[in-house]
Amino acid sequence: MERENLANRAYTGDIDPDLLDFLNQYVDSFIKWDLMRFFFNNPHTIDTVDNIARYAGRNPEAVEQELAELAMRGLLEETHMGTLVVYALSADPEIRDRLSRFIQASEDRQFRIRAIYHVIKGGY
Amino acid sequence: MQPEERAVTGVPGFDAMLRGGFLTRTANLLEGAPGCGKTTLGMQFIHYGATHGEPGLILTFEQFPEQYYRDAAGFGWDFRELERRRLLQVIMSSPEVTKADLERFNGRIAGLVSNMGVKRILVDSISQFERMTDDPVELRNLLHGFLNALRREGLTALFTREAYVLLGDEQREEDETEASMSFLVDSYVLLRYVEIESAIHRAIIVLKMRGSAHDTHIRQFDIGPHGLVVQEPFKGREGILSGTPQYMAESFIKAFVRR
Repeated sequence: MERENLANRAYTGDIDPDLLDFLNQYVDSFIKWDLMRFFFNNPHTIDTVDNIARYAGRNPEAVEQELAELAMRGLLEETHMGTLVVYALSADPEIRDRLSRFIQASEDRQFRIRAIYHVIKGGY
Repeated sequence: MQPEERAVTGVPGFDAMLRGGFLTRTANLLEGAPGCGKTTLGMQFIHYGATHGEPGLILTFEQFPEQYYRDAAGFGWDFRELERRRLLQVIMSSPEVTKADLERFNGRIAGLVSNMGVKRILVDSISQFERMTDDPVELRNLLHGFLNALRREGLTALFTREAYVLLGDEQREEDETEASMSFLVDSYVLLRYVEIESAIHRAIIVLKMRGSAHDTHIRQFDIGPHGLVVQEPFKGREGILSGTPQYMAESFIKAFVRR
């Protein structure tokens, strides 16, 4: 147990506390990570689960729950338009800024490895 | 009588064809084969507006916004910077969501019109509406409602539409959407590939412009480092829209000289 904690710390020790907080708050699966990157690259997307899944090259069943969770956590906005439920990136500048910092940090291989390990371990 | 307000496209040569630009608050269709320059012309229209006091939206149903940022950058248009300055927004969505948004009170697009002062919109491409129904009457009603909603918001709209023929004389099935759209829109511009002496050229013609005179010549255009440039009419040839024009003298001989 102690060895595992040491290993964990070795992986996450250098992560900026805000980025670690972002990871803990939003990124508990690789599908969520993918979706975040998609919304970062296409920040004014507004669409249904089925279409977002198609854009992301994923199965709608796999994406539906993840989108709903990201909306519950405030990263996305969920809007009901008649019978349609649509998702868009939060307009909150602070959330957008944190997402931007996370995606930019992900460009760095070392950070990416640590973040992947973090997601696999399920956070701690 | 007040002069008609025009939405200048910024495409050299094209505004002269339109006698100064599209009429404002109108729906305008740009149809052409894949890769012939529809989206580039549309981006040029939006970029010109955004940099001349008319913020714009690009509503994409097919391409990812990041492709627009990249393609625009290739022509020296910084769309990300324009977005940062709230002069542009590239929205990715689907026809059904856009329709639902425009139908509700104070939807997202209406909000952008009032908050950003949006004047222009590029819808790329209207062909995606065809996915919503197989019924041509229902499709026409859908398109009519969509066009009217954009007019209601005071936007000058440019719609792209894929023509599924590369050259003019290929066989094709009856095209219900083309028939509907050409009646519903205020102007109808056609881009075509033309084969001349074993080389492919691009041609542009304004087929219709409600409420305005327009150039009726078929002109050649190029896509250069700063976007489209419309040039002189094709001279001494006919059958341009067939895709394989011939010299007028050849046509004359074919028609009148017995062999």
